[in-house]
Amino acid sequence: MQFNSTRQGMAWLHTWLGLILGFVLMVCFFFGALSVFDREIDRWAIPETRFDPQPMPSFDNLLMGVFERIEPDEAEYKRMMPEYHDASAGEMTPRLELPADEYWAYTTHRDPVLRMGAGFRVPFPANPEGHNHIHGNTTIDPRTGVSVPDHHLKIGSEWFYPLHYSLNLNWNRIGFFIVGIAGFFMLVALISGVWIHRKIFRELFTFRRHKSKQRSILDMHNMTGVVALPFHFFFAFTGLIIFVAFYYMPVTNTMLEPLHSAQQAIEAEEMGLPHERAGIPAPMASVDAMVAEAKRRWAARDMAGEVGFLQMHHVGDQNAYVSIYRAGSDRVALVGEGIHFNGVTGDVLREDPPHSLAESIGDFLAGLHLQHFEHWFLRWLYVIGGLLGCACIATGFMFFVEKRKQQHAKSGSQGSRIVDAFAVTTVTGMVIAAIAMLIANRIIPSATEGKGDIEKLVFWSVWALSFLHAIWRSAAVALAKTNPAWREQTVLIALLGVVAVIANWISTGDHLIKTIFTDPYWAVAGVDLSLLAGSLIALLAVKKMTATHETERKQETSQKKLATGEAAYE
Amino acid sequence: MNDAIWLIIAFVLMLLAMGWFALSLKTHWKQVMSGKPASRLLRSLGWICVALSGLACLQADHASMAVLVWIMLSATAAFIVGQVLSYRPGLLKPLALFRA
Repeated sequence: MQFNSTRQGMAWLHTWLGLILGFVLMVCFFFGALSVFDREIDRWAIPETRFDPQPMPSFDNLLMGVFERIEPDEAEYKRMMPEYHDASAGEMTPRLELPADEYWAYTTHRDPVLRMGAGFRVPFPANPEGHNHIHGNTTIDPRTGVSVPDHHLKIGSEWFYPLHYSLNLNWNRIGFFIVGIAGFFMLVALISGVWIHRKIFRELFTFRRHKSKQRSILDMHNMTGVVALPFHFFFAFTGLIIFVAFYYMPVTNTMLEPLHSAQQAIEAEEMGLPHERAGIPAPMASVDAMVAEAKRRWAARDMAGEVGFLQMHHVGDQNAYVSIYRAGSDRVALVGEGIHFNGVTGDVLREDPPHSLAESIGDFLAGLHLQHFEHWFLRWLYVIGGLLGCACIATGFMFFVEKRKQQHAKSGSQGSRIVDAFAVTTVTGMVIAAIAMLIANRIIPSATEGKGDIEKLVFWSVWALSFLHAIWRSAAVALAKTNPAWREQTVLIALLGVVAVIANWISTGDHLIKTIFTDPYWAVAGVDLSLLAGSLIALLAVKKMTATHETERKQETSQKKLATGEAAYE
Repeated sequence: MNDAIWLIIAFVLMLLAMGWFALSLKTHWKQVMSGKPASRLLRSLGWICVALSGLACLQADHASMAVLVWIMLSATAAFIVGQVLSYRPGLLKPLALFRA
């Protein structure tokens, strides 16, 4: 590649990086925007959990019994047990007889349900130094302690949310790496985009929708990109730093593993928190008393709050300790102000000291992305930011195609036709797949075995079908016209949005009049209203596309007439 | 005063700011009014409103949260003003105060 100027080089970089990674980034932005309200989508999808958020219930009276009921996960046992266990040292312990080593419970100000989990010890471990835990999780109604059945997939927090950072491709964590690479190159795309744009301020408010299609698309691309530039930059950047140490450069688990383990042991010793079990059984003290003490200490520091995360280490051992963290709903930064108690005596072992400046910046950056705070207005602004990002990427695809399709039509190239079909799939197809999943969730009876798996299957199949449809209808692009799949899939979005709202009404009796006025429940009303808003926007887009289609057709006929006229004249 | 009211004030101020920023540009001024805009004056008004909007955000929230609200408001307001200029530029007429 030879460029006459830096700007030309940047344009090349922006075009091709944007095209290839745009498909991934579209998923990150759209499902990221939905993740802002993941818990609310969970409520919509699991009507049994449509009640108000609850504080952490009593540990001694309620949680302890639930923890004792948790079983090690069968799949994880099968997968990890042979790796953790040293067969030469002794018999492999059956799954249900594994001893518990760790309990945790987690809730936020938006969660009616409580997530809990246990980590089970592996007797005769192959690597006694390692973290040899087989896990088991459950979600309960904190008012009664009854588990929410497993076949209920939390579509918001367990499907849309992980989709935006892992694409739900878990094989060798390939999805995490694809998203990481896309996130990194998004920063490059933003910088190169600013570089080639030049008239950042002068054209900030410019959307010439009456000019040519190519012009108006580029205007929209620039506007959505520039107005939300800080949002785009910070979300790509903070998304990267949240995962960088964990997945992308896990030196502490590879090259520096011995150093890392030694450091952990030293830290634990310095903190006075036992790193290992003593091997001496001991009864546990009242955790409720510890919670009361933690709350008292937070209040004394002028930051009264509720418990967000609670963890018991070395369960049933002399060295047991309990860590209690504050729910961070009143601040951006993600800090728990943890207080740690001796599990046997109930004495305070340690209070986490205030974070250093560098740590505080990290807390703030992670917190602004992960949004544990309670601020509904800012949440909606984040959704707008995410959707502006989607609009920016979508118009980027469209511009790529618009710019090339005439030329490709002349030269017989199929390039823009293929790109356009992929664009249809990632823009409208993705929305259809998401709504179809919600509809499936409301149609499949609650007691169905493997309900969540069927919903996932619906999601992927519908998405695949939208791709086939886009390819099937794509011939028009090779003739420099618009792929009718854009319009057809947008019509489908408009219909499905309404169908989803009706399906929710019929299957649960929760219609908008009830969820807004007579018995307000905003989590469900919000999802319903968003679906309807999506339908409305789709409808407006259809109207616009129909008008464009008409002009395109008129031009064509007049051209044909002209051609035949000329032929007759000759 | 109620936090929600401060946030609404912050939003309105940000819309005003973006409106004035837009009108300080000749192309957009012409969509609304004849003549030329007093660019520097309009832009100063815009910056004052951006600052006031930030103060209103600070009234509603802790500083770390207020910064996020402020930045996200600027994005939303700029987008809205851009759309208004494209669909209903007349709505900005009341802001076209100072001609050069």
